[in-house]
Amino acid sequence: MNTRGQDALSMTEDRQLVSRALKGDRKAYEMIVRKYEQPLTSYLGRMTGEREAALDFAQEVFLKAYCSLASYRPAFKFSTWLFKIASNHIIDHWRKKKLPTVSLDQPVDDEEGCLMPQVADPGPSVARKFELAEIREKIERALASVPAALRELFVLRHVNEFSYEEIADIKGLPVGTVKNRVFQAKELLRKRMEGS
Amino acid sequence: MTSCSRPEDLYLYLEGELGPYDARKLEEHVECCPSCREALEERRLLHEAFTSLPPFEVPADFARSVMDSLPEPETRTAGWLAPLFAAVTALTVGLVGFHLFTGLSVFEVLVAVNRFFGTAIAQAAPLAAKTLKVGGVLLNVAGDLLAMGFAGLSAFSRVLGPQGVALVVGLGGLLSLLAFFGARRFLHQGERS
Repeated sequence: MNTRGQDALSMTEDRQLVSRALKGDRKAYEMIVRKYEQPLTSYLGRMTGEREAALDFAQEVFLKAYCSLASYRPAFKFSTWLFKIASNHIIDHWRKKKLPTVSLDQPVDDEEGCLMPQVADPGPSVARKFELAEIREKIERALASVPAALRELFVLRHVNEFSYEEIADIKGLPVGTVKNRVFQAKELLRKRMEGS
Repeated sequence: MTSCSRPEDLYLYLEGELGPYDARKLEEHVECCPSCREALEERRLLHEAFTSLPPFEVPADFARSVMDSLPEPETRTAGWLAPLFAAVTALTVGLVGFHLFTGLSVFEVLVAVNRFFGTAIAQAAPLAAKTLKVGGVLLNVAGDLLAMGFAGLSAFSRVLGPQGVALVVGLGGLLSLLAFFGARRFLHQGERS
């Protein structure tokens, strides 16, 4: 998520905390919760669009992770493992609620037609119209209208700062597919903002 | 002039994900293509906004409420600790009970228990040693016999070849069947006479 040195340090720290938690040290697990509560809630918040629901989901994800802590393999990053649980939890929730899903094998439809990632389309200079804060606000609003499967990858990449390889690991997708979908999400956001 | 950059390459460039060769090519192209320069600047601003979206606020007591919702931890105690603890407790209770019941001192009881176990071990140890020795010899013999059998079989199959082995197995099976039915007939005739 950050630089390589910080990553290695964080991984070692996580392994030690997990090892202590497995021995019954609840304080160690509380430290894990404190470390990941904000990134996890930020991810779940953007996926559900509701703060309260995000907090409830985060609590359930931490509970699930705690119950299956013994199955965590220290060879992998704890953050990747935790977000894999969170992603599956969200998918289960949507399946239960039977929310419509969008096939991503086809290009994503926009109001103005098909979003073709290959076509170079500089378009009007939308970004210059707004200051950065305004743009962020617009992104947050437009994000809700982006298909969940694209939104999730965008959030993992830009809010949670996972590398493309880590996202591929979390979602079980090829790295090329992840890159393409994150790009599609960004272009879709740009077009939605342009239309607003 | 090289062809215009793909929008996905503009994002990858801004993320530092484009290889050095492609990045250099893109920079050179943007230098002399106003349309791509504008597209890159626009994406740069968007990229800045994408990467600085604010995190969600989490209540201060969130971690505490998560911890309160967790089940009691399943501590990994060694499997043999509980039986050992039970055995020690039972022995202690037994010794004290015996002392209270008979009036003998705990020390005397310990000596008696020690003597009892000492005698039992002294009698059982040579027997166990002999059993182990005989078992070892039997295992060695069985191993040798099996090795000899396998060596013989492999030499046999080497000499005869696969067809020869199949022929011998077939003949053996036929002879066994003949012997079996012959014996049955012989026994039936014996019953009749």
